[in-house]
Amino acid sequence: MSTAITVPEDLWEGDNEGVITAWLVDDGSQVKQGDLVAEVMVEKAQYEIEAPASGVLTIAKQEDEVVAKGTSIASLET
Amino acid sequence: MNTATGSRKLTIARAMAEATAQEMRQDPSVFVMGEDVGPLGGVFGNTRGLHEEFGAERVRDTPISETAFIGAAVGAASDGMRPIVELMFVDFFGVCMDAIYNMMAKNTYFSGGKVKVPMVLMTSTGGGYSDGGQHSQCLYGTFAHLPGMKVVVPSNAYDAKGLMTAAIRDDNPVVFMYHKSLQGMGWLGTEKGATVATPEESYTVEIGKASVVKEGGDLTLVSLGAGVHHCLRAAKALGEEGVEAEVVDLRSLVPLDRETVRASVAKTGRLIVVDEDYHSYGVSGEIIASVVEHDTSCLKASPRRVAYPDIPIPFAPTMEQWALPNADKIVDTYHQMMGQ
Repeated sequence: MSTAITVPEDLWEGDNEGVITAWLVDDGSQVKQGDLVAEVMVEKAQYEIEAPASGVLTIAKQEDEVVAKGTSIASLET
Repeated sequence: MNTATGSRKLTIARAMAEATAQEMRQDPSVFVMGEDVGPLGGVFGNTRGLHEEFGAERVRDTPISETAFIGAAVGAASDGMRPIVELMFVDFFGVCMDAIYNMMAKNTYFSGGKVKVPMVLMTSTGGGYSDGGQHSQCLYGTFAHLPGMKVVVPSNAYDAKGLMTAAIRDDNPVVFMYHKSLQGMGWLGTEKGATVATPEESYTVEIGKASVVKEGGDLTLVSLGAGVHHCLRAAKALGEEGVEAEVVDLRSLVPLDRETVRASVAKTGRLIVVDEDYHSYGVSGEIIASVVEHDTSCLKASPRRVAYPDIPIPFAPTMEQWALPNADKIVDTYHQMMGQ
């Protein structure tokens, strides 16, 4: 089963776009639900993205790529 | 907050905060002071989570008065505490230099060894994101020049955590200079190579030991901080020409690991020093002197340097990028060295 990691709608105020500043796990790694996996920056503020499920990570959006709320940035294969 | 098990990576900002938190948990004399280090977590992210865990008594926001709070840290350190104090931008050292180099760096000597000053002065360096000439300098040579304090400059999160732990435990004052573009903070630049696998458990990286981050037999590239990543990119490009470059990450300026640099140049015979600090009177000259005053017989070419020109740092992005070291300049310098 595959679970998408999307940018949560309530992560920051407003509809501004953000940029992925760091992936804190390598592509293809096993991660646990709740693990901190990535950081997204919006107007000089950083927000944390957690894994919504456990599984093997496949990164879809790399560092420096622009994301919006709801953007799918990776998937987890369980 | 847990990061992923196994292949967990950290940004330098997180690595510094984690090392600080671990030391604060096991040593009640460790505390943090500086501008916006509290609830904000530091302008460069390196005190995130500390105020929440340890409270306002041990993670103290200060007014913009570096002379006062760095002087206070020297007093606290002299009286048994282990302060970690932040000078937000190294560029502003001018207002507090008496506290740093007449008090922090010299009190142990002045007291005949009776007074220890076990403090960490952490400060951001470097440019590349168009913040003007008073927010973009490195000033590595300025601090390393003055006796009495150790000076470290990490290039990646693993070293940043180990050097920060070592700095906090050191009984001497340690200046911890972190390059803004390596912090993983996005708006300061993104350097993926700085975000590396970093153990959760506490460990130290010995202050005063350089690291050979890539081996090669044709050319030695010596750098520190962000420059290490320029060197690694240049080494990759040179590798495609069949030139094997060795890359030495100094990690520490005081003490300086001259032996590792000399051993590398003895093997390769060619030396290029890459430094984002100003060209003249700085780290690049010191590294070259350390080699040539020891042995010139190993040299196959005159050493070169790729450093910041001796000019105030421009605000205009195109002008700033023109002046900064980069991989292309390193490759070009090698070609000039070889008469190509």
